[in-house]
Amino acid sequence: MRYRISHRSDYTYSGPVDLSYHMLHLAPRILPHQRVGDLRIISQPAPAAKSERTDYFGNRVTYLTLAQPHGKFSVEIEATVEVAFPAPPDEAATPPWESVRDALRAGGDGELAVAAEFSFASPQTPPSAALIDYAAPSFPAGRPILAAVKDLTSRIHRDFAFEPGATTVSTPVAQILEQRRGVCQDFAHLELAALRALGLAARYVSGYIRTYREGTDGLKGSDASHAWVSFFCPGPGWIDVDPTNDLVVAEEHIVLAWGRDYDDVSPIRGVMLGGGDHFLNVAVTVTPQT
Amino acid sequence: MEGRLKGAVVAMVVPAFDEMGSREAPRPCYAAVGDWIGRTPASLFELKRQEAEFCFRRTGITFAVYTEGGDPERLIPFDIIPRILDGQEWEFLSRGLKQRVRALNAFIGDVYGKQEFIHAGKVPADLILKNPCFVQPMAGLEVAAGIYTHVAGIDVVRVNPTEFYVLEDNCRTPSGVSYMIENREIMSRLFPDLFARCRVRPVSHYPEELLDTLRSVAPRRCAGEPTVVLLSPGSYNSAYYEHTFLADEMGIEIVEGADLVVDDDVVYMRTTQGLQRVDVIYRRIDDAFLDPQVFRSDSMLGVAGLMSAYRAGNVTLANAVGAGIADDKAVYTYVPEMVRFFLGEEPILRNVPTWKCAEPGDLAYVLDHLAELVVKDVHGSGGYGMLVGPHATIAERAAFAEVLRSKPDRYIAQPTLSLSTCPTFVQQGIAPRHVDLRPFVLCGRDIHIVPGGLTRVALREGSLVVNSSQGGGTKDTWVIDL
Repeated sequence: MRYRISHRSDYTYSGPVDLSYHMLHLAPRILPHQRVGDLRIISQPAPAAKSERTDYFGNRVTYLTLAQPHGKFSVEIEATVEVAFPAPPDEAATPPWESVRDALRAGGDGELAVAAEFSFASPQTPPSAALIDYAAPSFPAGRPILAAVKDLTSRIHRDFAFEPGATTVSTPVAQILEQRRGVCQDFAHLELAALRALGLAARYVSGYIRTYREGTDGLKGSDASHAWVSFFCPGPGWIDVDPTNDLVVAEEHIVLAWGRDYDDVSPIRGVMLGGGDHFLNVAVTVTPQT
Repeated sequence: MEGRLKGAVVAMVVPAFDEMGSREAPRPCYAAVGDWIGRTPASLFELKRQEAEFCFRRTGITFAVYTEGGDPERLIPFDIIPRILDGQEWEFLSRGLKQRVRALNAFIGDVYGKQEFIHAGKVPADLILKNPCFVQPMAGLEVAAGIYTHVAGIDVVRVNPTEFYVLEDNCRTPSGVSYMIENREIMSRLFPDLFARCRVRPVSHYPEELLDTLRSVAPRRCAGEPTVVLLSPGSYNSAYYEHTFLADEMGIEIVEGADLVVDDDVVYMRTTQGLQRVDVIYRRIDDAFLDPQVFRSDSMLGVAGLMSAYRAGNVTLANAVGAGIADDKAVYTYVPEMVRFFLGEEPILRNVPTWKCAEPGDLAYVLDHLAELVVKDVHGSGGYGMLVGPHATIAERAAFAEVLRSKPDRYIAQPTLSLSTCPTFVQQGIAPRHVDLRPFVLCGRDIHIVPGGLTRVALREGSLVVNSSQGGGTKDTWVIDL
């Protein structure tokens, strides 16, 4: 499926900013199942310096330096992305989840070793007994891993209410587990923390999802950035699941970046001299193209 | 981490090897000093001790302790009796230290590069990759001359005339070098006649050697004489005295984060004559505070964009970011293997036998023998967070055992060592007290070690820790040529 995406972030500052540095994770990754074209990053004011690098996880990172005083900063990314996630394997044919856990622990070389790094706890996804208790019913002994993860994903979708504003970017997983409310980032962190507490390898994936609206054209800028989870299964490799929507990812998700948790892939991080308070407005549009 | 002279030396007083020998039959290197001790009345020692304290206070060689209330400026007790090593012992130590630091640098480079040591199964991957000291932005970043730890403090202890053990490696910001230099300065003022009688190798050239080391790792693209600066967190840092001392002695600028700016991946310092390019930064700020764009965003001490300049190869940071991966007390146990793997040599200096509680077999042994062992937190420092088995009560050991069972990965255990002692002037007169040694190894294109280093002494009788915040002091260290 081909999409045209546009993601615009507008910052307004209560005072002038003399100098700022920004680090963006806004260029979608190029993957075997995702092609990216026509990528443009436009910033206002124009940057004094701009460079692109790849980070530790292989994500494309853009660095901007704004050296002239400014009271507003906006950055807009546009791209055409063609997505076709491979169909997931038959869930009964995937290995028992404990065998995946044991294989990761044994380490070794190649893709298993790379995947194993994602089985460690990360700052936003600490393990806890409460998480293991919550996840355990989805992981009885011998259950094939894809079936178990799909079950956990469905349960999170069912047990937790999607409520913007109930949490912030830094709400801890323990609190989310207790209050049973949050947004896609929280559900992703929760599922990640649970999977890692069980010894499995999983990544935090940030990106976009196509949202359906009545009528032929979606309202511009009303779509959202999205977060979901990717877990490792020897054989098929990484399989993406979305706890906010209870699905295995296929054609309706576009990958921006992945890492251990939100902190590794936050869309814009920056440091500025001056500015006072800042206000942010984000507008995302994902338009399918035929 | 910075500031406190850290290091826990664990020892039992009986039976220890005394480095002087006995008053009647001193070891050859102590002949002159032993004689002097014998002929000097205690009242004169007391006078000289007071003179030393006065000199320290007047020069302002203090460190700051803010957490205890009262006057935060403290002196580290200085003992006026020098600790002496002879030239041959020093040659041996020196060779071992150079070898060890070469292996450590190769290891750190490998961890942030091809990770061959991990792939060869020499160290468990999770010990490195899960480690809070493993800094991901350093992966694939090339540093000048492949050197990550430019100033390494390798803590060494001794149990008999020929056996030296490395207690721990400090590859980030080992402190104490200013004490080494000032101790010598004060000793030479107090006892000029003693120096006339012994051929003591000098240490005062350390700042020159440090500057040479820093210059030798300037980025390749640096044209002409490299500009070196010392980046300090500022005057409220407990080691600020050492920062100003070194910057002054080296003749370089001392800067704080706000004095530096990065433009187009080049680091500049703001001077009254405009921006001046900076090539090498001797940074005394922890990794997490260095660059708010990449690390802790609440840091006011660092410079946004520093990591970008670093990655672009336009500036060298000494010590490199991420060098702390070699500091970890569990990684310490693999250092002899690093020497074999990266250098193809047998290690000259030995590690203290260590049990890693992360391994179930080792954990079982440690729990059974808690009364005989010293157990330390792998990320601990300053003698805190540890258990000294033989000196703990049954209740303390039981409590610690619970902690060990809940978080075994965080602890290692070592046998209590009977550390060497050295004559020390204490209230009862001259008596033996346990000592350790921290030589400072400078690693640039060449490796230089100033003779001796900082000797730390546990001033309380039978005391187990030489750490300055727990009753430890320092001594001047002499390397004597007989």
